[in-house]
Amino acid sequence: MKVIVRSLVVALAVTGAIATTLVNTTPAKATVTAKTSAMPVPACDPNGPSDCGMGDW
Amino acid sequence: MSKGICVSSLSLLSVLGYLEVLACVAALCVLIAKKQWADYWALGSFLALRAGSDSVLIAVHGASGRIIERHLAYHIYFYVYWVSFALESVLALLIVYGVFRLAMAPLKGLQTLGMLIFKWAAGISVAVALGSAFTPGVKGTVMLVNAISQLQRTQSILTLCLLLFVTFAVRPMGLSYSSRIFGVSLGLGIMSTNDLVQSAWLVFNPNLASVYNVINGVVVCVILTMWTAYFALPEPKRRIIVLPTTSPFLRWNQISQALGDSPGFVAVGGVPPELFAPAELEVMRRASIKMVTPFPPQAETRATFSRAV
Repeated sequence: MKVIVRSLVVALAVTGAIATTLVNTTPAKATVTAKTSAMPVPACDPNGPSDCGMGDW
Repeated sequence: MSKGICVSSLSLLSVLGYLEVLACVAALCVLIAKKQWADYWALGSFLALRAGSDSVLIAVHGASGRIIERHLAYHIYFYVYWVSFALESVLALLIVYGVFRLAMAPLKGLQTLGMLIFKWAAGISVAVALGSAFTPGVKGTVMLVNAISQLQRTQSILTLCLLLFVTFAVRPMGLSYSSRIFGVSLGLGIMSTNDLVQSAWLVFNPNLASVYNVINGVVVCVILTMWTAYFALPEPKRRIIVLPTTSPFLRWNQISQALGDSPGFVAVGGVPPELFAPAELEVMRRASIKMVTPFPPQAETRATFSRAV
């Protein structure tokens, strides 16, 4: 039990570290983070022409 | 066919959205019913905020194109989403702080020292994260989203550090994996890892509703159910912590406790003799006799003492 829980936690930490490294090395203009939620992420500019698919679900 | 898959996926998203709100309310009710608000007020506030903001988002999304014009609906959705996200990130930092305080409760000295270090580390990390969002040429909503994303990333990294600490210190602290402290940390840790992975995903797929939202919806429902279970089930009592007298933990705890003590003060000059009681003056006179010479003449000692006073 102890080994399983510790392995799970270490796996979570390593995954987080890899994801952070990937984001930091991506030559994107802006890297956005979003909520852990089923709610769609509004990543489009609200002043832009697109409504980002609002109301489609 | 692809339209069918899209529709079913979006319906699944709406179902997951409703489930998320229900799970938040259930976890909040159990937390309050078990009288845990005093210890976990930050988590309670987080759940209340999440339930409230999700309800507003679902309502705005539902009304889009029917009651509210689509662009206006997107404006409302955008600001409610990102402002609530920023508040949730701050509350998550407070949850991490509270969990650390509870975990370290038996070792008061190390708890005080750790909380002081945590405050400084969190403060500096948040300042650096927000500062890095304010780059030249970036302004308006892009800057807002960047700042909140950076804040959230900082909070996720701090949360993962706390989870590692709690997992490896759970037994020495007299806790078990059934403790609420561990349950709350694990839930937050899963959420943080998911946030970081999602941030990498969003670099390549910046759509409003993507496949990752389904994963997100499932993950958050699992976390909320786990928290509800941890709060609903009776928590095992903390074991007695037995440390060897030579333990460095014990020594550091004693040192940390002494660090916060207010120091004593010594009067080194300018003290009028009226401040002392006659008995104190007599003690000082005798002490000064001994200090000057082992067997001094009494008259000389008295003169020396009066000069000193």
